[in-house]
Amino acid sequence: MTLPVLLLLLFALLLIALLAWALRPSAEQSQPALDVFEALRRSRHASRISHVMQALQPADTEYLRETSQVALMQTLRRQRRRIALDYLNHLQKEFEMLLEVSRVLAVMSPEALGMEEMERWKLSLTFATNCAFLRWKLRLGLQPFSGFNLLSNMATDIGRQLDAATTRIAEVAVRSSEHPGIGDAKIDGR
Amino acid sequence: MVESLQLQAAAWALTTALELGLFVQLIRHRVNKDYPQFLVYLVSAFFQSLALAALYRTGNLDKMTVWKIAWLTQGLVVTMRALAMVELNRRVLSRYIGIWALARRLLLGVAVAVIAYDLLLSKGQWQWLILNGVRGLELAMAAVIVTMLLFARYYRVPVNLLQRALAVGLCLYSTFYVINYSIFERVLRQYAVLWNFLGIFAFIASLLVWINAANRYAESTEVAPLPAISPELYGKLSSEVNARLLLLNRQLIQFLHVQERGQ
Repeated sequence: MTLPVLLLLLFALLLIALLAWALRPSAEQSQPALDVFEALRRSRHASRISHVMQALQPADTEYLRETSQVALMQTLRRQRRRIALDYLNHLQKEFEMLLEVSRVLAVMSPEALGMEEMERWKLSLTFATNCAFLRWKLRLGLQPFSGFNLLSNMATDIGRQLDAATTRIAEVAVRSSEHPGIGDAKIDGR
Repeated sequence: MVESLQLQAAAWALTTALELGLFVQLIRHRVNKDYPQFLVYLVSAFFQSLALAALYRTGNLDKMTVWKIAWLTQGLVVTMRALAMVELNRRVLSRYIGIWALARRLLLGVAVAVIAYDLLLSKGQWQWLILNGVRGLELAMAAVIVTMLLFARYYRVPVNLLQRALAVGLCLYSTFYVINYSIFERVLRQYAVLWNFLGIFAFIASLLVWINAANRYAESTEVAPLPAISPELYGKLSSEVNARLLLLNRQLIQFLHVQERGQ
């Protein structure tokens, strides 16, 4: 049997396995009453990155080495790594909430903008990969780093962007509550 | 050998009886109203069985002509099955017009890629082109059905019992055909009768799954279509979600940079 035919066979077997997986009852329950606006307005862990970054800054604990308290410095750094991992878990939760919002949006999406779903897929995939990679790196241990100012500036920049995003969401929410027809324009118009 | 051929003939008769039984169930429970293409596929499979039985009994025609007619009828049945599969995908996903807009592009891409890969294996020989074309179409159907079910699972689109049964039956039969064809044609030619019998058995299993689902089918189980929001509102909300996801990604990338700079 040639390799291409063998690949076909393996693909067919993979399809059977995927079929079984796809037909499994889903463990996650959907949130039918999920309010898109409310979910998007919830507090964001991402905005606290500057504090976490500062905690990971080696200069924060480096003075302990100078005072010959290396053991204490290591304990402190270990604890801060744990905090970073917790922070990462919260980012993951925020990400999952956004995915849930995006699913709710997707089932209501009009045809013209259906391709936005593809963009979201790519982002979701990138996030999931980065998240898994970073979690393992944190578990393996953080080393001192430089260039904190640059990163801190980036974090401030992101914080500013998030604020702008929230303002825009609020505007959309207010506008749709003032003009309830705006969201119903396409209803029954399939 | 004679016993196995008798067994195969009995399985063939059973298949025809089950096809008739399924036909009656589809009409009785008015499944044909929602899935007319599936009914057409079933009727074509039924007539193919009759045509092949008549063809093999006559014995006047030369082998090559019989082979061509047999594969022509097979091509027609596979085409009908492909149309039934398209109908199933549309029934499951087309209520969600945005998802359907994305899904149909993706499903078409999957189908074209699988068929193209399979046709490449025929190396320009027309006999292999037909045989591999049918196999490619079968594999593409299975891939499209699985992709559709994964899509439905990701977006939590409800898939009712009949739709699941149709998907399972079509997918299992197609994948079994691919496995059967690939192994039997290339490796286990001496077990031809056994493999043919297993092929019929796979179809019988699919028919039983469909009969069971058709028997329980009620038109009321169909979910009412969901309203779509306006493109303007969707665009704004969607952009916000994408922006938030993008920002989260950037947070993680910053973290990664921190790690890399520290090492």
